[in-house]
Amino acid sequence: MDSATLYVLAAAVLFGLGLDGLIVCEHLMRKLFALNIMGSAIFILLVATSAPINDKPDPVPQALVLTGIVVAVSATAFGLALIVRLCRESGKATLSVDDEPENDD
Amino acid sequence: MGLMLDIVIVASLIGLSFQSLYARSLFRCILHFVVFGLAMSLVWARLNTPDLAMAEAAIGAGVTGALTMVAFRRLMAISPAQNQSRPSNRSRLALPIALGAGGLVALLGLAVLEAEPVAGLAGMAVMEALPSTGLQNPVTAVLLSFRGYDTLLEISVLLAALLASQAVTQLDDPDPSILTEQPDTPLVGALLAMIVPLSVLVSVHLLKAGSLGTGGAFQAGAVMAGCGVILALSGRLTSSAQPSLLINLGLSIGILSFIGIGLVPLLYGQPLLALPDVWAVYLLESTMMISIALILLLLFTGSISIRRSDG
Repeated sequence: MDSATLYVLAAAVLFGLGLDGLIVCEHLMRKLFALNIMGSAIFILLVATSAPINDKPDPVPQALVLTGIVVAVSATAFGLALIVRLCRESGKATLSVDDEPENDD
Repeated sequence: MGLMLDIVIVASLIGLSFQSLYARSLFRCILHFVVFGLAMSLVWARLNTPDLAMAEAAIGAGVTGALTMVAFRRLMAISPAQNQSRPSNRSRLALPIALGAGGLVALLGLAVLEAEPVAGLAGMAVMEALPSTGLQNPVTAVLLSFRGYDTLLEISVLLAALLASQAVTQLDDPDPSILTEQPDTPLVGALLAMIVPLSVLVSVHLLKAGSLGTGGAFQAGAVMAGCGVILALSGRLTSSAQPSLLINLGLSIGILSFIGIGLVPLLYGQPLLALPDVWAVYLLESTMMISIALILLLLFTGSISIRRSDG
């Protein structure tokens, strides 16, 4: 097994773990971490699967991922601001089905 | 030897991501998540992409860590009980869905690894056209010369995130949660006297290095924002609810100069955002560094503006 395969498998595990956390975790900050971990998994996948050019890594996926990192931080910052505001309004940083106006359960 | 190192990094990455989701207290989650960002930068170093390693360490681990910790402190001020929140949404579907999605990602990645690399990739075109840009770092060339449009939108996203955060943050109360408890001990002044000039030096170096090797505006801006965060934590900078012309100019100078320089080529019949020369790249990177640093700092303080504290 070479290291590219290893990193692809790592990306798969991280993506699955992040998705599990996104569903299972109740606190919104944990959900935000889960989203970030899923994003990081995709970044690893993008770079690890790109074919090298003249024995150097392809610059285009690198630039894509660099942009992705900055956008992820922007989204995370906005998400955190929303969580703090939600907590200020409702006193808790979780969303549950009980908060819905119409509960089908 | 190399593979062993990769296995250690991947194992720690998975362990850290597990802990940052399922650790007992929320604070432990945050700490593990910050270390996860550092492990990610090791991954980039191992994948031979130093630009990404630098960006992840400065932006991914550093700025995200500061932002999550200050958000945690604000949450704690509202209700301290939630630190002990357990992941409790027991769902029977979660595990199969996660396994299926992970399997799909693995399948996709392994299939791409098996495929023959096609000729005429964008990366090859970049490598061929690189000498014409006057830059030596192909990543900077992609970001500014070849795909300037993406970078323009990237800085717009950053600015939009700041404006949206300011819109949902209640601004009337001065926020005590970013201040450390005793900001005026003698050691703090000595520390600042060393760290502030050094981080300015490092960020300007990263900016200049971006055209030759590893570095660039985003890494430099993140380092400078870190310097601002230290000043805010130690009470040298305080958040202010009064909009300041200078700060607003600093926030928007990156995107404004990008649009300005991007529009000029249209006058000469060239395509939009065709940068005239290397000086334009330097100018854009410098103004973007200022904007990025200020935007990240204001995202941290959660205020409209900042000013020097009077004390």
